[in-house]
Amino acid sequence: MEVDQTVSVSKGVFVFKNNFKPLTKLVKSKRKQKNVVNYQNTAFSSNAWYQSYSSLWQNIEEKIENLNNAMFSSVLSRLVNFVKSSHDFDVEEIPTAALLTGINMPDHAAQFKSLSNQIKESVTPHVACLHSQDCQNIKYLIENMIGQLVKEDESFSDEDSLSDSTRTHLKKSQLNLSVLQCWYENMYQEHSQTSPKKQKTKNKKILVIIISDFESFNAEVLQKFILIASCYIRVLPFVFIFGIATSISTLHTSLPYKVSSKICVKVFNSQRSTCYLNEILENVFFSTSCPFQMGGKVFNLFIDIFLFYDLSVNNFIQNIKYAMAEHFSYGNAMALCSFNKKETSAIIAEFSHEDLENVRHLLSFRKLVESETYENQIRLLTDDDYFANVLTEEIVKLQKYIRRLHIFLKCLLILVEDLPKAPLGQQLRDLYSVATAKNITNSPEYKECFKLLGFQSMEELSKKLSKILDYLEDKILFKHENKMKDFYEQLESFVDSMNNFNMAEMEEAVVEIENNEQVALKSLDRKQFKEKLFGMTKSQNQPLNRYEKLREKIITTLSQAFEEYLIEPKSFYFHEIFFFNNISIQSNIIGSHRSAIHNALNDPQYYLQCDCCTIPNSSVIKHTMPDICIAYKLHLECGKIINLYDWLQAFLSIVDPIEIDDETKRIVSPELQARFTQCVAELEYLGFIKSTKRKADHVARLTWGG
Amino acid sequence: MDQTLSLLHQTLPCRATQIDHLHNLFAYKDEPHPETVYIQGGPSTGKSIVVTTLLEKLELKHAILNLVECYTAKILFETILNKLSGHRMDPKNPVPYAKCENMMDFLQHLKNYSLEDDLTGSVIVLDKAEELRNMEFNLLPAFMRLKELSGIPISVILISELVFQKFLSKANIVDPMKIDFPQYNKDELLEILSMDIENARRIVENEYEHSIDFDLEFYKNYLNVFLSVFYRACRDLSELKYMSRINFVKYCQPIITGQNTVEDQMALWKNVAPTLKSSLAVLYLRIDTSNQTDQVVKHSVGSKETSAQSLELPFYAKYLLIAAYLASYNSAKDDKRLFMKFHGKKMKKLKDVKMKSKVSEQLNTQLGPKPFAFDRLLAIFYSILDEKVGFNNNLLVQVSSLVELRLLSSVSDNCFLDGQKYKCNVNFDFIQEISRTVRFNIRKYLSDFSHI
Repeated sequence: MEVDQTVSVSKGVFVFKNNFKPLTKLVKSKRKQKNVVNYQNTAFSSNAWYQSYSSLWQNIEEKIENLNNAMFSSVLSRLVNFVKSSHDFDVEEIPTAALLTGINMPDHAAQFKSLSNQIKESVTPHVACLHSQDCQNIKYLIENMIGQLVKEDESFSDEDSLSDSTRTHLKKSQLNLSVLQCWYENMYQEHSQTSPKKQKTKNKKILVIIISDFESFNAEVLQKFILIASCYIRVLPFVFIFGIATSISTLHTSLPYKVSSKICVKVFNSQRSTCYLNEILENVFFSTSCPFQMGGKVFNLFIDIFLFYDLSVNNFIQNIKYAMAEHFSYGNAMALCSFNKKETSAIIAEFSHEDLENVRHLLSFRKLVESETYENQIRLLTDDDYFANVLTEEIVKLQKYIRRLHIFLKCLLILVEDLPKAPLGQQLRDLYSVATAKNITNSPEYKECFKLLGFQSMEELSKKLSKILDYLEDKILFKHENKMKDFYEQLESFVDSMNNFNMAEMEEAVVEIENNEQVALKSLDRKQFKEKLFGMTKSQNQPLNRYEKLREKIITTLSQAFEEYLIEPKSFYFHEIFFFNNISIQSNIIGSHRSAIHNALNDPQYYLQCDCCTIPNSSVIKHTMPDICIAYKLHLECGKIINLYDWLQAFLSIVDPIEIDDETKRIVSPELQARFTQCVAELEYLGFIKSTKRKADHVARLTWGG
Repeated sequence: MDQTLSLLHQTLPCRATQIDHLHNLFAYKDEPHPETVYIQGGPSTGKSIVVTTLLEKLELKHAILNLVECYTAKILFETILNKLSGHRMDPKNPVPYAKCENMMDFLQHLKNYSLEDDLTGSVIVLDKAEELRNMEFNLLPAFMRLKELSGIPISVILISELVFQKFLSKANIVDPMKIDFPQYNKDELLEILSMDIENARRIVENEYEHSIDFDLEFYKNYLNVFLSVFYRACRDLSELKYMSRINFVKYCQPIITGQNTVEDQMALWKNVAPTLKSSLAVLYLRIDTSNQTDQVVKHSVGSKETSAQSLELPFYAKYLLIAAYLASYNSAKDDKRLFMKFHGKKMKKLKDVKMKSKVSEQLNTQLGPKPFAFDRLLAIFYSILDEKVGFNNNLLVQVSSLVELRLLSSVSDNCFLDGQKYKCNVNFDFIQEISRTVRFNIRKYLSDFSHI
């Protein structure tokens, strides 16, 4: 494959197996990996944009995984402790942990995997994970479970130099609980012989059964399973872990008392998915490690999908991945999407003429050109070196801007998150989506927020300011950004002066005002009194006390800072390099099958990519199109009920156009009739028409419009 | 002989007549044992434990097995043979004593084994015998006449919670000897529960890491207090035992903290009364509330409303659920009136006037969910949603994930692709709570309420 061909791939679909996981057999995986490497070499792995994309994505994936582990760790350690201590004493009921996970099970697959790994490491090697699809009835469930437990032991004892000949593979039909019991007793018998009796009980390892999708299990199967397991609880120390998606009451609706009395449930809550999303956003995508930024529209689209459709963080991350791939595949210009100044300047230095042309194709470059003088315009367009310098400058500006954008958004969030009704929203993501779509400081919500801030009491305001200071402290001190430092010091002085405020002084000021009023309110006639009152309402906010003056000052300082840093990204040149705002990916992210089918039938060239079927507008029908498309397009022209004979005639006139002079009926060849009948049957299968009894030889349309 | 009997009476209190009866039947080796004994009684009335200990003490050869785990007849036969023959399986190659596919094989192997070893007087105990009704039809009659069929003097004890009349079928079954295990009364429960004193001591010691000294009288006093609250609600021994253990820890709390002494029974009772009342609400639920999250758990267990709140659903899924509820509890002919803006005027008929005075049994919301077609669900969904939303795959996935969460259930066959039918599984309180979170007035769209 030529390199040129693959540069413009934005419309194609490419499969990258960069996350390739080796199969169980080593040889196989080696061979395959080689294939993958070759494939990537021939494709575009050497292109700069792809390299920066893949390294960035790897980085992000790693961070997400770390974050996942950290977030799940508290629940995890509690669970592991529960499992550990569950059989310390003789139990009559099966100890059971119910983990409330939230409705998106695929998101939790990783959690359950790490849970089972952790239990294997620290508690017991005997862990079986059961999935509903493998456990249609009780027989399969038990065979599956015992298979996992016994097999685990085999790989476990592999190190104990057991030769293959001694191990015979167990047949599936042989696996039942009495086999498990004798296997278990056999394993721990030797221990008990060597060690004194007291240690025997400690040596016995717990059998952990993880059921990750409780809701999808057949309730009857589970009931039976629990009953069976409880018969063996004295010999086989079982522990259950249920992953429950909805709420704990499902446990009681699906298990009758005679079953639920056999288990002793302890409930573990895991995090809500919205919190999970916020964590992921704030720690991964809004951090300095991710230079790739989503524009307001795209970001809103993803958030909407999350909130309205699935609440799946996993899906959200995959959507971002898709957007990133789309973004970077624009060309080498996107290789500049990085926060490392040295790296970007090195990349620019290596840029060829084509690459720079690629950058020049960005839309915002036109704005840059237009803003320059005539001479510079020519230099920008023709002189590569000059252009490279300008580009470097602009990129540095953007890098600085994005970093500050996140910092100040966070500061703004601290200020506005607890305002009544929260006009700007309570989450960082709300602010981000506004700030990247438009100039946030011009928005009415922002103005309302600052109006509300103007009424804040001293304690609240100083609390917020010190919060901001805490946040800024670890963000800027080690960097030498003068403006930021000035801002920081200014805030610090405000907080100091607020803390040093003498309450008595303030009260004095208030009393003074009141005294003034009282003097003025002495004997007056009605009209004068009214005027006086009217005048007072006007002038009431004039005499400010010291705190109010200070507050005004603080707020103007803050809003100045925000106005300076929270500008919309569009105002920067080359913002496309960092911000991805192409909403057209919507159709790729949200699949809509109806329009896809309509598109395919109405304009087959869109999918077939053949030359013969190009049509100027959608109402044209060509005889080269597939039969079903012709029939479909003809049926769009009909009303509620379609006359089959007329339809056939119209079909024939397109497929086999013969001039017929008079009204004599033409003889339809059986081949054409068969083709037509097939089309009708296919359309009926797709649900566009159905047969009707209302009129003979007619079919009814099931869709509207044409 | 009398020694074992008195020992049995001691270890298993309150079951004297039953023990005497069984002892009479099985204790005398020179007398023939009955062919079948049918033991019936409610849950946790001591059926299995009495039979098991009796057989062990009498040193009879026996095989006890729970029919729940015998999901195929093969397992049932092979386990009986394994147990009678004392066969130990090698875990590397678990071969049973003999392979039995059906009753004939079983009888044959039983006869073969009886040549090796004397099976006279041995007993097969089938616990949870009601499972036999769902197994092969010939099992029950064959086990009832095992002595006759095998020609070996072997007896079968069936233990079940059902009365024997429930087993009657076309097959001619001889009525077996029946022993009834009645429910314990309050005094008997007290006596049995007070045997748990050692456990109670240990639990208290575990909980507070230092033991308190109390005698049986103290514990019986506690149980009296405990039973006075719980006896009305629950007679089940195992549940009572479980609850008594949990609450005893709280009963002893003031003693540990030093507020009260062991003698202060009145004060202790006053202290524990509210705890007992609140734990009555979680009776039978078996949720361990001994950690810090117990507030949350109690809430989510206690009331349906909070469970609706704690359920996280995407916005459209909530609306889909509401639409499903409306489709389930409204009749389709009311749809036009409820969901269309200009539905025209309806002529008032006598029937409608009668509808207004519907009694509660005729309310749709009381009659249970009715199945509805997928198209109707979507039509209602689009009419109750204010904003326009495209029809796409993510929306469709929501429906199937609602089915997976058991909030909807699919009532048509899966192979029937066209026009799937569903039912809504949630109740009115739940859906009201859900619609409150999206600010939707569900009463307005229910024909039951909109008539009124």
